[in-house]
Amino acid sequence: MRTALFAAAACVIAIGVAAGQANKPAPTALPDWSGVWQMIGPTVFDRASVQPQNGRAGDPGVREFPPLTDEYEAIYRKNIERIKAGTFPDPISVCGVPHGFPRIMNVPDVYEFAVTPAATYVLAENGPGIARIYTDGRKHPPAEELWGTYTGASVGQWEGDTLVFETRGLKESRDNDVIIDRTGLVLSDAARVTTRLRKVNETTLEAVMVVEDAKALKAPWKVTKQYRKLPAGTWAWDYGCAENNRNPISGSGKTLTIGPNGKPLDKNVD
Amino acid sequence: MTFTRVIAAAALCAAVSAPLAAHHSAAMFDDEKVVELNGTIKEMQWTNPHIWIQVVVDNNGQKTEWSIEGGSPNSLSRNGWRSTTFKFGDAVSVRVNPMKDGSAGGSFIGAKFKESGKTIGRWE
Repeated sequence: MRTALFAAAACVIAIGVAAGQANKPAPTALPDWSGVWQMIGPTVFDRASVQPQNGRAGDPGVREFPPLTDEYEAIYRKNIERIKAGTFPDPISVCGVPHGFPRIMNVPDVYEFAVTPAATYVLAENGPGIARIYTDGRKHPPAEELWGTYTGASVGQWEGDTLVFETRGLKESRDNDVIIDRTGLVLSDAARVTTRLRKVNETTLEAVMVVEDAKALKAPWKVTKQYRKLPAGTWAWDYGCAENNRNPISGSGKTLTIGPNGKPLDKNVD
Repeated sequence: MTFTRVIAAAALCAAVSAPLAAHHSAAMFDDEKVVELNGTIKEMQWTNPHIWIQVVVDNNGQKTEWSIEGGSPNSLSRNGWRSTTFKFGDAVSVRVNPMKDGSAGGSFIGAKFKESGKTIGRWE
């Protein structure tokens, strides 16, 4: 009888240990990030380095200064020239692809942050976009099981009231099909981003992101974004991008405008 | 009186031009120029990713339909707009950043309703 009880107890302990490895206990009190939030400032990803100061993403000649390698600086300059020529389309114009990471932390409209013990979800109204950050104790998939996706794979843990997570498995930009922002910045599939997301006061969330990319960056690139809480009761809505998209892309990369007869208003369509 | 007027003052442009929270490049719009249209509303398309205001401008008997792009209904609704803000037949003045190539399209800046005198958007 004693042997049987001992065996049963051992099994319970073993199961508990196994479960603990798969599901790391969450902190007893998760922070309250409820409500609707809006990014502070325009959609230039790195506002600290943008030139000219207060330049808007997409305006000709506006650029940031991440520590790019020569190869990726050349890509950036080429994209900047395409913006000047009006032939640098935003990949999300087609209403079928996500913003990707880290761009999802840099979009207009509003956000919600759903915190649960096993995962935190960043819900961007624009896009719409979702970033899933698993906090159940799992590790990133091994390299052979990962493939490049727009938003990658994010795994994190709580350090007090700060969610610290790393994002890997990001898709390489191929012909600018995923961008960091509309200034023409792109990263490689070697990019990894470590993000520290926390509430700095009752009305401000802050994401401090450190981007590392062995192909595109010569040094880690730190970018901070903040989000302001909107008044209680604010709604986030469905964003059906394809509902009435009157801005298709021409063969040369020009963004067109569809008129009332269903044809482009633009005088030159190429 | 219905007419199209170009307000070319750069200072005014800087004050009233605002980027859309667009899902696309805004390269087609001339944000250095403001055009004021006087016409009547044919339709407002209260849809994502952008609303569209169709305005018919009658210039001495020659009617032109303008397509004016606004923000998303989501963001506009949080700023006081409604799906009924512009109704068929409303007489309006609308200021836009026009398309660079002179086509009858533009990016919405602000509007004034002739009957009520009310304004929406940026109208200084």
